[in-house]
Amino acid sequence: MTATDTLTRAIGTPLARIEGREKVTGEARYAYEYQPENVAYAEPVQAHIARGEIRSVDASETLAQPGVIAVIWNENAPKLADGADAELALFQSRRVAYRGQYVAAVVADTQEAAREGQRLLRIDYVEEPHDVVLRENHPKLYTPEKVNPSFPAHMEKGNVEAALASAAASVDVTYRTPAFHNNAMEPHATVALWQDGDLILYDSNQGAPAHRDAIAGVFDLPPERVRVIAPHVGGGFGSKGTPRPQAILAAMAAQMVERPVKVAVTRQQMFAVTGYRTPTIQRMRLGADAEGRLTAISHEVVEQTSTLKEFAEQTATATRVMYAAPNRLTTHQLARLDVPTPSWMRAPGECPGMFALESAMDELAIACGIDPIELRALNDTQVDPEDGETPFSSRDLVGCLREGAERFGWAERDPTPGVRRDGRWLVGTGVASSTYPAYRRAAQASARAEADGSFVVRVGAADIGTGARTALTQIAGDALGTSVDRVRVEIGDSALPKAGVAGGSMGTASWGTAVVRACEALRAKLDDNAELPAEAEADTSEEIEQQKKRARHGFGAQFAEVRVDSDSGEVRVPRLLGVFAVGRIINPRTARSQFIGGMTMGMGMALHEESVMDAAFGDYVNRDLAQYHVPSHADVQSIEAAWLDEEDDELNPMGSKGIGEIGIVGTAAAIANAVHHATGKRVRELPIRLDRLIECA
Amino acid sequence: MQTPASFDYERATSVEGAIASLARLGPEARVIAGGHSLLPMMKLRLAQPEHLIDINDLEAELSYIRDEGGEIAIGALTRHVDLLKSELLAQHFPVFRDAEEVIADPVVRNRGTIGGSLCQADPAEDLSAVCTAVKAKAVIRGTDGQRVVPMDEFHVAPYMTAVNDGELLTEIRLPLFPGAGSAHEKVERRAGDWAIAAASAAVWVDRSTIHDVGIGLSAVGLTTVHLKRAEELLRGKPPSEELFQQAGQVASEDCSPMADGRGPVDYKRHLAGVLTKRALSRATARALKQEA
Repeated sequence: MTATDTLTRAIGTPLARIEGREKVTGEARYAYEYQPENVAYAEPVQAHIARGEIRSVDASETLAQPGVIAVIWNENAPKLADGADAELALFQSRRVAYRGQYVAAVVADTQEAAREGQRLLRIDYVEEPHDVVLRENHPKLYTPEKVNPSFPAHMEKGNVEAALASAAASVDVTYRTPAFHNNAMEPHATVALWQDGDLILYDSNQGAPAHRDAIAGVFDLPPERVRVIAPHVGGGFGSKGTPRPQAILAAMAAQMVERPVKVAVTRQQMFAVTGYRTPTIQRMRLGADAEGRLTAISHEVVEQTSTLKEFAEQTATATRVMYAAPNRLTTHQLARLDVPTPSWMRAPGECPGMFALESAMDELAIACGIDPIELRALNDTQVDPEDGETPFSSRDLVGCLREGAERFGWAERDPTPGVRRDGRWLVGTGVASSTYPAYRRAAQASARAEADGSFVVRVGAADIGTGARTALTQIAGDALGTSVDRVRVEIGDSALPKAGVAGGSMGTASWGTAVVRACEALRAKLDDNAELPAEAEADTSEEIEQQKKRARHGFGAQFAEVRVDSDSGEVRVPRLLGVFAVGRIINPRTARSQFIGGMTMGMGMALHEESVMDAAFGDYVNRDLAQYHVPSHADVQSIEAAWLDEEDDELNPMGSKGIGEIGIVGTAAAIANAVHHATGKRVRELPIRLDRLIECA
Repeated sequence: MQTPASFDYERATSVEGAIASLARLGPEARVIAGGHSLLPMMKLRLAQPEHLIDINDLEAELSYIRDEGGEIAIGALTRHVDLLKSELLAQHFPVFRDAEEVIADPVVRNRGTIGGSLCQADPAEDLSAVCTAVKAKAVIRGTDGQRVVPMDEFHVAPYMTAVNDGELLTEIRLPLFPGAGSAHEKVERRAGDWAIAAASAAVWVDRSTIHDVGIGLSAVGLTTVHLKRAEELLRGKPPSEELFQQAGQVASEDCSPMADGRGPVDYKRHLAGVLTKRALSRATARALKQEA
């Protein structure tokens, strides 16, 4: 039997989640549920000012509270390594960089006592004027050296200004997206304990090995002295991609009180300390010739970061991939404000950037009098539009648009906006493209054949609710030429072979490659009649370094039908359809969940989500899910995800592209375009609130 | 993690016992029924009662919807889901079903109660507007007996009611008059959210004339807004879309919304008008048995 004989046995089947039963019965343990003996509880205290300095801390009442063991702040906190991530340099300075920053903590025997102690702590501040509102003419705007993770901030080709000036049709519009906060079902939590100088953390994160390395750095420990354990994680969406202050607090408090310590971030704290998507101001200029062929694409982005560190979201990078045009400009500018540091949130860059580009494409289609699908098809490209030569490993944007059009019933669409009525409801449809890069990162894995005929595959991967454990089991089963029930995949522990985080939609591709290579190596040993148990390892660094230069991206098309109440401005979304071309689908069941989950978040972005900055206090005010609105099940009516068969042998041994993020990309634009089609009103600022559709007074 | 401050807890075995405990424990005692408002407030430390008196075992005494001839009586412990499913209520006051279909979600409706909703006195709460529209009366019992309070006097301020320390809301009474029709209209930012605005209307039509009318609005004032001026405008007139439009205009003027994450003041005023008109139209169509 050869590897190719069995390659498709489990891959492509809708295997149910391996840990599904454990999760629904409550047996699956999440970070906060680990209960070491003699554990204590730490509660962070958050800054009450947006900028300034702590003058003094009066802990007398707190320390008098029964059960309180310690108060930690700048004066007594242990020194952490220099040069650590400034958001993790807990209590190393008296400076306050943003409202809500952790400035002290209370450790107690019980959570209740810690919380009461937290309430009683008196902190006196020297307050300074703060600057928290992003605007396009902010005097502090600068161009960063690169945007996340390492793209040029500024790219230019040809002469955009001249091309726009002579274009037969053009648009020049500005879109705005508010700050968005990622809120996983399981808020961040850590249980820390020290054993003989070694640090052990039960933590909720998107990658145990990466967290181990970062936390070891903060405490100036060699990585092998730190172990991070995270077998089950209740969602991350980017916010658990890097360690957050609660992990450092747990470790620091455990060190100081010489007991294991638990820290659970509250939902309210998540709006300050666990990252968010920057607000954006995006000027889009598109020019086209008389036929609708793009002559110029310009996408200029303004966004924010904190004074602590630079996080530059790559908002315009999708624009560098989507359409051909000889004259191109993409820029990013940042202002350092007295706000928390933005971070990864599902499809950072692509998600807000494609709202602007794909809304502008809709506006251009109207300006040109061309169907929006035809406009996109006309400007499709099979080579990287920036360098004009690198071929895509595969690209079927047009196939997605055509298949979606067929399924959605696009052919009957009358493009005239604001003319379809069903009683008091105005009805419209919209389309937008979607894309996400297909990256891979080096990883290690091991595979072991046991004497009883079963196999154990180990990789330092993370399953944050995506189904990664299940997909890796399918990949391993096929690579080993055995059935999935004979394979146990171990993930979620930094003691396992080193692998990268579940992020950038590259988890399965990266870990899967290492798993396949380890399984192949094991099979080679077994073919040589190795004695059982037998084990083999793999490291994909070289393979990934040597891969051919290709533009590797997934593509998709999002379709939306909306109904807008002409009196109240209420928006309903009776239908959402996403069609994706993303290589081979490993598990159609979990893949569908990824797509429709992303699309639902895209709907939330379009209609509901908005972190509101209170300029006077310098704080995001809507810090819970009663105020920060996300769609509920009843808001989602018909939602459907489909995918094309796409073969691509220049990706990885599975032939797969990442699907964790593409579902959210383009959805908001499709809905906004449908709202325009329904009402004739173009809302260029998200969310599309009811009051933005109804002009009052 | 959110945990409430520590508190004492007792399960009442009778209404009398619950009232005795409330009287004994004074202002730091709170009744817990469904707990869907009180427990989150305790976890957020917005409320720190020292004693909780759990009345969930009092269903035999406090959970019912019955026709008492001339009045419908609803026990304070009646759950939202029972209000939603009640055919008796749907027959006389369909406004309850309208409202219950859009109050939170099934999990909350399975547990939350009418008494809890009214006593929470959240200005955005739906049933307070419904009860205002249908001219409900609240029966409040204390150690010295009971008193009956009209809705206008029930809500005294945001989150404050006429129920004093040592008292328990036990029953809601809905007077029955002929020619009734009622409806509730709500707009929310997402399904199950608090209203941006909601309007409840009840009309009593006699020989093609609006004999009487009640209108209550949610979420556009410090407490439920009782639209007395709009009611005055409608009373004694034949129903018409123009008349309801005028009533909507009055609603826009007479409410006092605040700007928040759910919308600016102008939009909320606009919405109060739209929903008042809609609720009146639907209530009247039901009264005339002409509902589409």
